[in-house]
Amino acid sequence: MTPINLIVLSFVLFTIGAVGVLVRRNAIVMFMCVELMLNAANLAFVTFARMHGNLDGQIAAFFVMVVAAAEVVVGLAIIVSIFRTRRTASVDDANLLKY
Amino acid sequence: MNLYVPIAVLALIAFGFAMFSLVASTLAGPKRFNRAKSEAYECGIEPTPQPVGGGRFPVKYYLTAMLFIVFDIEIIFLYPWAVTFDALGIFGLVEMVLFIVAVLVAYLYVWRRGGLEWE
Amino acid sequence: MNSQLLAQSAVQAPHIEYGQLAPMLIVFGLAIAGVLVEAFVPRRARSAVHAPLTLVGLAAAFVATVLQAGTHHVAAEGAVGVDGPTLFIQGTIIALAFVSSLLIAERRPDTSAFVSDAASVPGTQEERESLVAGDVQTEVYPLTMFAVGGMLLFPAANDLLTMFVALEVLSLPLYVLCGLARRRRLLSQEAAVKYFLLGAFSSAFFLYGIAMVYGFAGSIRLSEIALAVSHSGGNETLLLLGLALLGMGLLFKLGAVPFHSWKPDVYQGAPTPITALMGSCTVVAAFGALLRVLYVGFGGMQWDWRPFMWGIAILTMVIGAIVAITQADVKRMLAYSSIAHAGFVLTGVIASSSQGLSSTLFYLVAYGFTTVGAFAIVTLVRDAAGEANHLSRWAGLGRRSPLVAGIFAFFLLAFAGIPLTSGFTGKFAVFAAAVAGGATPLVIVGVLSSAVAAFFYVRVIVVMFFSDPNPDGPTVAAPSLLTGAAVAVGVAVTLVLGVLPQPALDLAANAAAGLFVR
Repeated sequence: MTPINLIVLSFVLFTIGAVGVLVRRNAIVMFMCVELMLNAANLAFVTFARMHGNLDGQIAAFFVMVVAAAEVVVGLAIIVSIFRTRRTASVDDANLLKY
Repeated sequence: MNLYVPIAVLALIAFGFAMFSLVASTLAGPKRFNRAKSEAYECGIEPTPQPVGGGRFPVKYYLTAMLFIVFDIEIIFLYPWAVTFDALGIFGLVEMVLFIVAVLVAYLYVWRRGGLEWE
Repeated sequence: MNSQLLAQSAVQAPHIEYGQLAPMLIVFGLAIAGVLVEAFVPRRARSAVHAPLTLVGLAAAFVATVLQAGTHHVAAEGAVGVDGPTLFIQGTIIALAFVSSLLIAERRPDTSAFVSDAASVPGTQEERESLVAGDVQTEVYPLTMFAVGGMLLFPAANDLLTMFVALEVLSLPLYVLCGLARRRRLLSQEAAVKYFLLGAFSSAFFLYGIAMVYGFAGSIRLSEIALAVSHSGGNETLLLLGLALLGMGLLFKLGAVPFHSWKPDVYQGAPTPITALMGSCTVVAAFGALLRVLYVGFGGMQWDWRPFMWGIAILTMVIGAIVAITQADVKRMLAYSSIAHAGFVLTGVIASSSQGLSSTLFYLVAYGFTTVGAFAIVTLVRDAAGEANHLSRWAGLGRRSPLVAGIFAFFLLAFAGIPLTSGFTGKFAVFAAAVAGGATPLVIVGVLSSAVAAFFYVRVIVVMFFSDPNPDGPTVAAPSLLTGAAVAVGVAVTLVLGVLPQPALDLAANAAAGLFVR
């Protein structure tokens, strides 16, 4: 598989993630879509690392994985806390804050 | 060839440890058989019916799993360091100890705040 | 392949300049010490340990920053740039974090802004018990310190990966902090979820932008990206796409239109001391990072990003000022005002000159202190249900407590940019820099939207002083020493930078003279 195919795959994954965040209404699913976007970036990083022949991109992928794990923990804690209050994880029901 | 001596030694130690554990548990462990023990372990058909829809997991599973992932993922930084340990020398050791201490502080916090208590 | 790569780059122990990184190391050390305090000090004593620790530590970090003055060096193997503008921004962030910490440290159970037990469900027996027991929230201290540490690293990061990690280190604690309000907990939790989902979404864009730029330049180091940009050869599509995505992530953090929609909701829902922290420190840090990315990494392609930044600055100023008029909640109004101010600062950023840089730095100091002071006043106007944030409740406040209303009016005039306040000097400086940089149309839009903005600031003053007090209206809590000190600092800086701005302007000009280190 040539690197350019991997870049195209990464584009596709990123777009699926971004569209998912915009159209889905469940906070958990939206969050999973964000994770998909991060992983698409990881794929792009390692592919470019291979194309350029240096390690920067692979190092970046390491750090992104750690950051993503930390983000999952914080995010799920917040989503669980609001779920326990309202018994729903739908973002449409979170509508108290408006002008 | 010298390159593979440490790996061979490691394999030997691992094999030896596994054998030791098996033998030791056969010799020293209590032998009480009952119905649950003779059932298939994580294979075959599930003996007890599951709740409809798969059931819900208590929040404590989530808590433990999340804590595990955070601590687990820190370990990936140890691999590159281990590979270049010789080149980095004392500097690398000191920095890594600082890193581990920072992770340990988080662990102490979780422990003191009851994050590791199952009940 | 990989073994080749490893062989090529023989690993050498890196050289870390601990002295130059001292401000960040001190703040992160404070955060870790704070976690240890949480783990081992008994509940009752925690807050008494945390507050002095935080304040003394921040003061030490400030001293460490000042001691670095004059450094122009890339530290930590190219990961962190230590130079005039960065040190100025870091000093500003630490000072603003100090004042915000005074508000956070407000500990009396009746006026504390933080829920004692964030895990308890609102309206349950569990929550009431913890309220009755008079518990106070202390985890805010280490969380705040982690966020401040990330903010210090964000504008200093000289490679994009460090910048991304700093962005997350500053954002993750803020997401949690937003959900910790003591009153109106549903609003607070909702703000946290919104901020988190949108923040994670925008940082994913930021990250993908980094990946694209890396694909173009073959490096994540800003200086090498600048080199690759000037020797244009690679794939231009990747470069432009990457810069656009990077810009999106950064503009989201400073709340520029069209990436502003989170700001009013989050500012309103978050506990007010945290709003003060976000409104001042986060904005300063995000502008620092934007400046560094645009000036160091992409200075060679000004003609590509300038038109877009023009458009965003105009939209931000106009929409921020116009939408603020219709707001009925004080915190929401201040949020839209913060959006409009982000637009004013952007006019200074676009000038992309030493003058533009120094005026931006000055504006950030002036705006930051006024913001913290204004939110400190918001914490004081209270009724039985906590803070009274609705504007109608502020009617006639000027007759009941002229001092508090007068100080708030002074802050509003500073936001509006009336002479003899810091806001005027700051606006004058950025607009002058923009005119010198050939952006006169931008300045005209800026002045017009300042006039619109002045309208709603003055409207609040009229409501406070020229309408009859509500009989069951809110009372003004007697400020404790801490809140009083925060207000006093805000007033003093706003006044001094308005009346005697020259020393501060000189300091900013000195800091900006050497531009960013490459």
